[in-house]
Amino acid sequence: MWTKVLTGFGYWDVYSWLAFFVIAGGMVFFIRSLGRKDYRQGTEQDEIFYGSNPVPEDGEDLKVPASSAYWGYTQALKPFYEGLVGLHTGLATDYAGWYILVTAFVALLILV
Amino acid sequence: MNWLDHLPALMLAVPLFGAFIAPLTAWGGKGLRNAWFLLVSVVFSVLAILLWSRVGAAGPLIYVMGGQGWNIALPSGISIPVRILMEIDAFSAFMVLLGAVASLAGAVFSVAYMDRFSGMEKFVALYFLMVTGMFGMEVTGDFFNFFVFLEISSVASFGLVAFWRDRGEALEAAFKYMLVSSLGAMMVLLAVAFLYSRYNVVNMATLGKVIEWGMVEKTALVLFLTALAMKCGSVPMHMWMPDAYAEAPAGVTCALIAVSQASLYGLFRVCFTIYGAFMGSPVIPWVIIILGILSMFIGVSMAVIQKEVGRLIAYHSVSQVGYMLLGFGVGLLALGDARAMADYGFTALKGGVFHIVNYTMYKGLLFLAAGALFYATGSRNLNEMGGLARRMPKTMVLFMIAAAAIAGLPPFNGFVSKLLIYESSFAVHPILAVFAMVTSVLTLASFVKIFQTAFLGPELKKFAGVKEVPGAMLVGMTVLAVAIIGLSLFPTWSLNNLVEPAAKALMDQTSYIGAVFAAAATGGGL
Repeated sequence: MWTKVLTGFGYWDVYSWLAFFVIAGGMVFFIRSLGRKDYRQGTEQDEIFYGSNPVPEDGEDLKVPASSAYWGYTQALKPFYEGLVGLHTGLATDYAGWYILVTAFVALLILV
Repeated sequence: MNWLDHLPALMLAVPLFGAFIAPLTAWGGKGLRNAWFLLVSVVFSVLAILLWSRVGAAGPLIYVMGGQGWNIALPSGISIPVRILMEIDAFSAFMVLLGAVASLAGAVFSVAYMDRFSGMEKFVALYFLMVTGMFGMEVTGDFFNFFVFLEISSVASFGLVAFWRDRGEALEAAFKYMLVSSLGAMMVLLAVAFLYSRYNVVNMATLGKVIEWGMVEKTALVLFLTALAMKCGSVPMHMWMPDAYAEAPAGVTCALIAVSQASLYGLFRVCFTIYGAFMGSPVIPWVIIILGILSMFIGVSMAVIQKEVGRLIAYHSVSQVGYMLLGFGVGLLALGDARAMADYGFTALKGGVFHIVNYTMYKGLLFLAAGALFYATGSRNLNEMGGLARRMPKTMVLFMIAAAAIAGLPPFNGFVSKLLIYESSFAVHPILAVFAMVTSVLTLASFVKIFQTAFLGPELKKFAGVKEVPGAMLVGMTVLAVAIIGLSLFPTWSLNNLVEPAAKALMDQTSYIGAVFAAAATGGGL
């Protein structure tokens, strides 16, 4: 139960990873302990720096929406994504069509 | 007579009985209905554990319905099994166990999640019918019954996907699912008819014994392959899956994952046990590998750009099915070549089997967490969410566990199965492993997206009144989280006791076939 998982090429040892996280966690707490001691929660030290502008009251005006995530990635791969999204038409006939097409293609490969 | 001898029949009888009694529980009110929902779910889960441990101890089980005795596969004078025969080997028992755990978690979650909706007795009845169909597909020993159970689980699933019938999207998703599923089911029936016309049998073990590699058999294999690959969500036949998974109530989606795995089970039962080494061509393994690669990469690419949490996770289901297809495809490629099987084939099979269990657990948990977000906020749109970690810390932790596991972050279980698949597919061709690893990176990226947009960020005024979800929903999620942590901390135990017996059973065609014919010789089923 406690041994390594041998893959035939290498191995996986979960306990080495746990030991790594314990050591890494200890180092994080140690570095944190070297920080400033005069921090007080709930004072002006907690205030958000918003480019010297007043911080909006509702978080809605601050948050980054999901549609903005990975903007650069999707822009860089725009032709790929246009093609991919274009295939997902949402039409039931297309759903059935893809199934028939794959069946026909595999049949050709096997039967001919 | 030992009642444990009847475990295969009980696996079907208990959820079926639960389904037929469920409408009557409306007379006893919500308490009785919920108690029935949980009681039946717990009972079939316990039975699944007993079945799995019995198969592990005694080997493949045979159970005959409508014959002279439950353990007489071939009564005197009959050379082929003609009764309704169930056969459960380690792979079947493994799948039944997973299905039971996912269904139990879905049931516990649904008790609170669906509390504010009417018509729940119908919901419970359909849920149990779906579970019956799933178990039936996994324990049956003949193809016609496989088709029947496939239809039972599908028809019940259509009703459950359309359960919120006031939503046009839910009705549309159910209709599309029904269309492609019915088409697939007809092809399965046609494949069964092809084999029956050629051999006069529908019994799987008998077919595995007598099958040859002719035109009829090839045609049947193509029909089985594409229909079952479509049912488990393989690209490019996957498009029904994001619709159905995103629109079904979260507890149902958790169980639907196990139901689609039953189709995957059917696909591998056909490829490994029926055709197996008789398959005289590497075309089918390569078709499965390519379907796997396409599913992995296209599934995850579509997931990254989704804005609805349910659809994002559903596209990941497509991607994760790709890993399993890749693992099993590589294993199938090595079948019949002892050296290749020893070098990488068995590792690939273990990876595929281990990924089934991992996927069922963490994907179920992710859908339940998505359901918890919808329950608390009333929204499925990630653009509208934010800062929920303050209001739903327990849901956040449970989501994090599942997200880390699916992304294959150490020390979670997702990495172990992926490692086995990476290494074995690399041995076939390095490009396969490259696709698998790129998919894993994109998986992490898309779950970081959900985590950042739903849980992190500033607190939103509109969610000031949001509270943590009810205890029953947390319990449902915790069942799966505990399973994930257990699989992560004890990978060797999981591999030795869960995965390897199932992978060996899949590889060992003679054992599956021999169990039926040995029962004839000894008059016993064990």
